[in-house]
Amino acid sequence: MSGFLYGVALQWKLDMRSRSLLVTCYIVPLIFFLLMGGIFTSVMPEMKSTLIQSMIVMSVSMGAFIGLPPSLIETYGSDIKKVYAANGVPLYLGLVTMFISTFVHLMIACFIIVLLSPVLFDAFLPVNFTRFFCALAVYIIVSLSVGCILGLSVKNQAKLTMIAQLVFLPSIMLSGIMFPIGLLPDFLESIGRIFPAFWGYRLMLDNGFTLENLWYLALVFCAAVIVCGILLKKQGSQ
Amino acid sequence: MSAAIQVRKLTKSYGGHTVLNGLDFRIESGEIFALLGVNGAGKTTALECIEGLRKYDGGEICVNGKTGIQLQSSSLPAHIKPIEAVKLFAKWNKVQINSSMLDALGINEIEKKQYIQLSTGQKRRLHLALALIGDPDIIFLDELTAGLDVEGRLALHELIRRLKSQGKTIVLASHDMSEVETLCDRIAILNGGKIVFCGTASELTDKVGKKYFIHIKTQNGDSTLETDNIEDTLLSILGELKRENIHVLDIKVDRGTLEQHFIEMARRTEK
Repeated sequence: MSGFLYGVALQWKLDMRSRSLLVTCYIVPLIFFLLMGGIFTSVMPEMKSTLIQSMIVMSVSMGAFIGLPPSLIETYGSDIKKVYAANGVPLYLGLVTMFISTFVHLMIACFIIVLLSPVLFDAFLPVNFTRFFCALAVYIIVSLSVGCILGLSVKNQAKLTMIAQLVFLPSIMLSGIMFPIGLLPDFLESIGRIFPAFWGYRLMLDNGFTLENLWYLALVFCAAVIVCGILLKKQGSQ
Repeated sequence: MSAAIQVRKLTKSYGGHTVLNGLDFRIESGEIFALLGVNGAGKTTALECIEGLRKYDGGEICVNGKTGIQLQSSSLPAHIKPIEAVKLFAKWNKVQINSSMLDALGINEIEKKQYIQLSTGQKRRLHLALALIGDPDIIFLDELTAGLDVEGRLALHELIRRLKSQGKTIVLASHDMSEVETLCDRIAILNGGKIVFCGTASELTDKVGKKYFIHIKTQNGDSTLETDNIEDTLLSILGELKRENIHVLDIKVDRGTLEQHFIEMARRTEK
């Protein structure tokens, strides 16, 4: 257990030293929050009730789909995995430690958004904090599990940049955080439902922590765990 | 001597291409053993099968002891510091860090640098340290000194000798024949997926190095002669030089380098 805990703590340190993860988990999402938070609440004052959830969906999508996968490619697309295998370190260690570390980073970024939103934009805080943070944790975990599939399945950074956008952009545009989902054409609304962001956003809204919004996220997470397991096994056999 | 590694009838194919075709050899405990072969001979595949990093199709591999592996192409996360990597691997293998080993490899001197800031030599030393963390009995070193300057190479040679003196078995894969000649007790030459020679460097010389090379330096210049009959040729040359009144400044006789013998063996077995 000591090796595992040291691995998690070390990954946290490495993330702090890596500018790319700081940019995708903190700097870009928080700049987006500061700019769009002001614009959203001035143009549509009714968004004050959903500003925190909207900005969190943006931040988590950024960290999970743009931030985490390149770090995974650095390990699993290179000789690092061979060094791990040669020295008795299990292949899953990198994946799990990066998952946990990014989870903590995203939690911190979201906590900053929750703290600043009422102060800066007069946004409404969630009514039930326990349910809200449980919903947030579930949403981050599911998003990171999808990010793990991207990082393990795509072999190079250039391809990843393109493929990650195919998940990131619809997550932002079709989840209902930019404009009400009811205003979208039916087919776009249906596409939006495929992405965890749609369900995560609903799950974090007041009275949204229900089985109706949870089952799809649970399904995605279970599928992602299986896919990641298969991808890791494939990596091992290579 | 007991066998540290015993390989019997090892086979491995990729698709329809046979890379290892019934490999048989034995590495004794405490020796430095080199696996040589031209590119594509199958030595990396053979090493990776023995190391347990690659599955093989048939045969038997018996490794008696704990192994430490330094790979030819190695990498670590860009921002990790050497001491952090050492601690991670030590904790995962549940072993204490051997500080004298870290001192010998100069890891303490670079402990504040990040991996991305290390030179090639420093990275090699770090990967060797990681391979030695678990105090292995058998150490695999793949192209350990490739890309290093003379000073770095000599320092690692010294370390390898020290490891041997501690009773470790060392399996070396290298393209540097002078390194192999200097360090290794025995060598195996792989060609076409088979061991075509296994023995000491002098045994290889006896097998393929029939010719003698006479290097003569005179006031008129340098020349090298090849001969099968050293005694007659030497007497004849020296007699002729004396008659011509040419002074011999230096004279050396050898039986060729390991590199020449290796090439000759590879050429013969390809026929």
